[in-house]
This record gives sequence, C-alpha cells and structure tokens, in this order.
Amino acid sequence: MSTDGPYPPSAPEPEPGTPSWPAGGQQQPPYGAPAPYGQPGPAQPPAYQQPGGYPAGYPAQPVYGPPAGPPPDNYLVWAILSTVLCCLPLGIVSIVYAAQVNDKWLRGDVAGATESARKAKQFATWSAITYGVLLVLVVIFYIGIFAVALGTGASTAP
Amino acid sequence: MTSAARRLAGPAGAAALAAAVVGYVGAVDPNQAGHYPTCPFLFLTGFYCPGCGSLRAIHAMAHLDLLTAVDRNPLTVAAVPLLLWTWLRWTRRAARGRARTWAAPPWAVWSLLGVILGFWVLRNVPGLEWLAP
Repeated sequence: MSTDGPYPPSAPEPEPGTPSWPAGGQQQPPYGAPAPYGQPGPAQPPAYQQPGGYPAGYPAQPVYGPPAGPPPDNYLVWAILSTVLCCLPLGIVSIVYAAQVNDKWLRGDVAGATESARKAKQFATWSAITYGVLLVLVVIFYIGIFAVALGTGASTAP
Repeated sequence: MTSAARRLAGPAGAAALAAAVVGYVGAVDPNQAGHYPTCPFLFLTGFYCPGCGSLRAIHAMAHLDLLTAVDRNPLTVAAVPLLLWTWLRWTRRAARGRARTWAAPPWAVWSLLGVILGFWVLRNVPGLEWLAP
C-alpha cells in the first residue's frame, strides 16, 4: 500500500530453512517447522503446535521472508474507494484479493501474489464499470419516471 | 527536475481530483433529494451498504461538521486519515523516485475487510440505527 518500511531493497535473501518473518512487532506467527517434511529432524518441535492456528501440514515449503524488490500493487486504495464510495460487493471481493497479495508476498509466494494482484485489479475495474452502468440505469429510471409524470400530468390536464 | 515533476503528476492529479469532488459535494447538498442518484445497492435491495451516507458525510466534512459526518458514515470519516497517509507516502515516494518496498501487514487488510463486513451487517440491524445513515 505504501512506501518505505522495514524492508530495504538491499535486504539479503534469507537462507532456505531459516525461519524468518517480518520484524517490527508484527504478530506473525512462525508457521511450519524449519526442517522439510519427511526428514527426521532431530528434536524439532511438532509443526502443528503453532499459535497462529494454521492447519497442520499447511506449509509445504520452508519459510522465506518477503522477497527482495518491490511488492506487487494490491490496488487496496481502489478497493476501499469502490467500497466506501460505490457501495458494491465487488469492492469487497477486491479487498479479499488485496489482502491475499500481501499475505502471499510476505510468505515469499511471488507467483501467487502476482496472480492475486491481477485479480484485485480485475475486480476493482469491474466494480468501477458496474458502478458506471448502474449509475446510467438509475439516471434512465429517473428520466423515465419524470417522463411518465409528465405524460399523466398531460393526459389528466383539461 | 522535469522527471521529478512528471513523477509527481500522479499525486498532484489525485489531490486535484479529490479537491474537486469535495468542493462539488460541499457546494451541491446531497441532503436535498434529486441532487444525486440513490445508492445502487440501496436502490436495488432496500438495505444500506457500507458506503451509504458517504456523500452526506463528505458534505458535512467539507463544512467542518465532523459530528454530523460521523453520524452519516463513520467509515468514510475513518477513511480520510488513511487515504491522506497513503497519499503522503505515495507523494514522498514519487518525489524521491523510489519503488514501493513496503507491503501492509496482511492481518491489517483482513481486519479492514472484517470491519467493513461487520459495519455492513450491523447498520441494517434494527436497534442499531445510529450506525445507519
């Protein structure tokens, strides 16, 4: 959503298997055991006792931090504007995709984040188009009522 | 110099558009029927949406009447500092010519979704008319 934060562009890529998650007081629980599944990791704590409520066995890959480089645009501002100003359920859907973009990005899922960003943009565009169409329909409806009122007024006039 | 001006065209355009909208809604009163079309969702379903009352809230804020604005739509009032903050960071980023390196924490975006959905439901519940526009 916005600029400069705790991730400098020159942040080193974390080593695979290193449990890393955003610093800065975010309540993001470490999910997944550091060791890959199927390998007898010595004295690893079980992966299903994470406080975040993630289902057991959810992470199939080792935990990466956010990838280097700029995150994809999640179009959250457009989602908020279309929800608050345009009152359409499509805005809600684009907020869901916006959240998915950041969720996947901070987990290191670049492809998933990009795909969610594409859908977020799609739904923001659709909500804008639908809003325009509805606006035109309402205006036509008002003009119709106006015309009918004029018509009945004319017919009942002496 | 020229490139900085070109980079700042986006934030400047957004500010101009926002000022124009606030100026128009402040001048043309949405409390009077016929000035604006009804909210499409309210028109089609008869239920309030999360954005219902936002025009009247913007009108009240344009006249510095914050209490009336909160009464019409508290989410619209709450969105103003959020949008201002986003705009300021966008402008600073554009002025420096840097790419965005920060992503909002997912829990914050999910919470926003929850707040909007909850607001949508609650303002249609009888007895919670103070949330309705």
